[in-house]
Amino acid sequence: MNFARWVAIYGPTYLTGLGWTAVTAVGAACGALIWGCALLLIRLSAGRWGARGVDAYVQLFRNTPVLLPIYLIYFAFPMIGLPWPAVVCGGLALILQNGAYISEILRGSVNAIDRVQFDAARSIGLAPWSTFRKVVLPQVLVYSIPALGNQTVLLLKDTSLLSAISITELTMQAKLLTEQTGAAYEAFIVVALLYLLLVSGTEVLFRVTHRAVRWR
Amino acid sequence: MLTSRIRHVVAAALVAILVAAGSPAGAQEKSRLDIVLERGKLIVVTLTTVPPFAFNDDKGQLVGFDIDIARLVATALFKDPNKVEFVSVSAEGRWPAIESGRADMGVGGTTTYPDRAIRVAFTRPFIDSGISVLVSKKSGIKSLKDLDQDKYTIANLNNPQMADRAKRFFPKTKILTFDTPAAQFLAVKSGRANALQIDTPSAEYWAAQNKDEMDVLPGLLGASQNNGIFMKPGDFKWWLWLDPAVAEMRTGSWYPQYSEIYHKWFGKNPPPQKFYLQQ
Amino acid sequence: MPPGSLALLAQGAVVSLLLAAAAIVGGTLLAVLLATIAFSRFAAVRAVYRVYVYVVRGTPLLVLALLLFYAMPALDLRTGPYIAGTLVLIVYTGALFAEVFRGGVLAIPRPQWESARSLGLPPLAMFRKIVAPLVTRYTLPPYVNVCVMSVKASSVLSIISVWELTLAAREIIERTFAVFTILGLAAAFYFVMCFGIDRLGRLLERHLALKGFAGERA
Repeated sequence: MNFARWVAIYGPTYLTGLGWTAVTAVGAACGALIWGCALLLIRLSAGRWGARGVDAYVQLFRNTPVLLPIYLIYFAFPMIGLPWPAVVCGGLALILQNGAYISEILRGSVNAIDRVQFDAARSIGLAPWSTFRKVVLPQVLVYSIPALGNQTVLLLKDTSLLSAISITELTMQAKLLTEQTGAAYEAFIVVALLYLLLVSGTEVLFRVTHRAVRWR
Repeated sequence: MLTSRIRHVVAAALVAILVAAGSPAGAQEKSRLDIVLERGKLIVVTLTTVPPFAFNDDKGQLVGFDIDIARLVATALFKDPNKVEFVSVSAEGRWPAIESGRADMGVGGTTTYPDRAIRVAFTRPFIDSGISVLVSKKSGIKSLKDLDQDKYTIANLNNPQMADRAKRFFPKTKILTFDTPAAQFLAVKSGRANALQIDTPSAEYWAAQNKDEMDVLPGLLGASQNNGIFMKPGDFKWWLWLDPAVAEMRTGSWYPQYSEIYHKWFGKNPPPQKFYLQQ
Repeated sequence: MPPGSLALLAQGAVVSLLLAAAAIVGGTLLAVLLATIAFSRFAAVRAVYRVYVYVVRGTPLLVLALLLFYAMPALDLRTGPYIAGTLVLIVYTGALFAEVFRGGVLAIPRPQWESARSLGLPPLAMFRKIVAPLVTRYTLPPYVNVCVMSVKASSVLSIISVWELTLAAREIIERTFAVFTILGLAAAFYFVMCFGIDRLGRLLERHLALKGFAGERA
C-alpha cells in the first residue's frame, strides 16, 4: 500500500498516542522543573550534608539508564502496596531522572549570579527562603532557559520508553499498528516525523520564551 | 570544475543504487533448505517465555516442548539434535527475524492465524492449542462474564488477535499490552493486571506453579487452535520439506520420538497417529 | 538473591560494555567523517550534515532502533537484533560525537587560526601543534559524556531483544520476581561502568593538561 494512502487511513489512530506523549511530556517536564528547584534549594540551604546528598542523588541518576526506575516503579511498587497507574509511574521515573539533570543546570546558573546580590538581600533583611524565591530563582530560571529547553527535548524523547510499561503513547501506537497492518516502514516513519515535529515545536517554544524574557 | 565534480558524485551514487538494487534478486534464488544443509546448522527464532513451549529453566537453559521439536527437526536434517541455534525475540520480533533471513524457521507457541499467514508461512500444526485466561485468585473472577467489567484489567500480548479477542469476549475490561508473555505474567503477579490471555498449556503451567495465587478460567476463548512452525513465505522447497516432517512426527514414522517429547512435557500421550489405531 | 543471577547480570554488563565500545569506536569514525562534511565548502553538503544531526537528535533512540529493526527485511540484511542495535547505536553516537567535534573546532578563537597561518606552518603541522591540542581540550569532557551516554543507550536496545544487562535483569525478574534486588544490582553495574568511564575521562584530562598538551591549563 503506498505511503500516502496508509497515512490517510491510519493517521487518525496516532492521535491517542500523540495525546499521551504530550500529556506525559508536559506533566513530567513541569514536575522535573519543580523537583530540580527543590534539589537546588536543598543544596543551597542544607549545608555540606545537603550538598553531598544532592550530589549523590545526581550521580545516581546520571549513571543509570532511565529504563531501570521505570521498570522498578511500575512493577515493584504494587508489590509493596503502591499500585499507581502506569502514567504516574512512568512520569515519576522521568521526574526523578530529569530533576537531577535540571538541578545541575540550575546550579551552574547560580554561580553566574553576582555575589553582591546575596549581601544586598541579607542587608535588607530578606529571609533565606525569600531570597531564594525572589532573587535567586527568577534569575537562575531565566539564565537557564536554553539548557532547560535542551533537557525538555531529552525528556520528550524519553517518553518513548514508557511504551515498555504499556502506556499507549506514540511508540507503542506505532508498534501496535505495525502488528495490525504488517506495514513496518510506514508506521515508524510517521512516528519519527511526529517526534521531529514535537521536538522542533519545543525548541521554538523555548527560543521564543528566552527572547521574550531576556530584555529584563 | 564544479560541474564535473557533481557529475562524478551522481555517477557514483547511481552505481551504488544499481548494485544495491541488483543484489537482493540474486539472494532469493536459493531455497532455505539448501542454505541450511550447506550451513550444517539450523537457526530457529523463538519466544523464550512461554512455558512449557519454550522457556528458561532454573539453570538458565532454554528448554521446552517447541525447543525439543526444533531439535527433532535438526536431527532429521543432520542426525544431531545439537546442531541448532536459537534466536530469542519478543513477540513482534518473530516476523522481522524470519523476513530478514536471520532465522530459518520459528517456533514458540506461535498460533496459525490466516492474517498472520500473510507475513509468514506455517506448516501444519505440530500441537493443538487454544487460548485460555489466567486470573489471579485475589481478583475474585470466576468466569468470563465476571471478567467483562470496567474494574478489571487484562494483560495482552501485542498482536492483533489478542486485541480482537478482547474486543469480542470482554469489551469492558481495561487492557494492558506487553511484548512478552513473561511481562504479561509479571503484570498479573505484581497486581498490575487481574488476568492474562495466553495459550492454554502456558496458562495451565503457570497456574500449576502458582496454585495459591492463580487459576485458569474454564473454557477456551474461541476455538481450539493450531500451533505450527513458521518460515519465510514463498520458499516452497523449504516448506515442502518441513511440512511432511511435521506430518511424519504427528502421524507417521517419527511418531515415537514425537510421543516421547509430548510425554515429557505434558505427562500424557499425544493424540493417536490415526483415528483407527488404538493406543 | 536468586542463584546464578549475579553471573547472568555480569555477563549482561559485559555485553552492554561491548555494545557501548562498538558504538564509541564506530561513532567516532563516523563523526570524523561527519565533521569533515560539516565544514565543507559546499552549502548543499553542509545541509546533509544538518539534516542528519537534526533527524538523529530529534527522534528517540527507541524509534530509530525499531525503524531499523523492522526495515532489516527490506534491506535483505541477514542480521538479527544485535547488528541492528549496534548500527543504530553507531548512527546515534556518530551524530552526538560529530556535534562535539564541530563544537570543539568552532570554539577555537579566531586569533589562533590567524596566528597559525601567519606562522607559515604547513596544514599538517598546524593541525598537530595547534588545532589538535585545543580541540582535545575543548572536546574531551563532552566526548566522555557521550561515551557514558552510549552505555546508558545500550539499555534501550533491550526492547528490541538485544540481550544485555537490562534484558538480563528483566528476564531474571520475570522468572523470580525479585524486582528490587535485581534492578538494584543492575543499577549498581551500570553505575560502576558509567562512573568509571567518567573518572577515567577526568584522569585523562588531568594527564593531558599536565603534559601541556591541552594548552593553557598547565
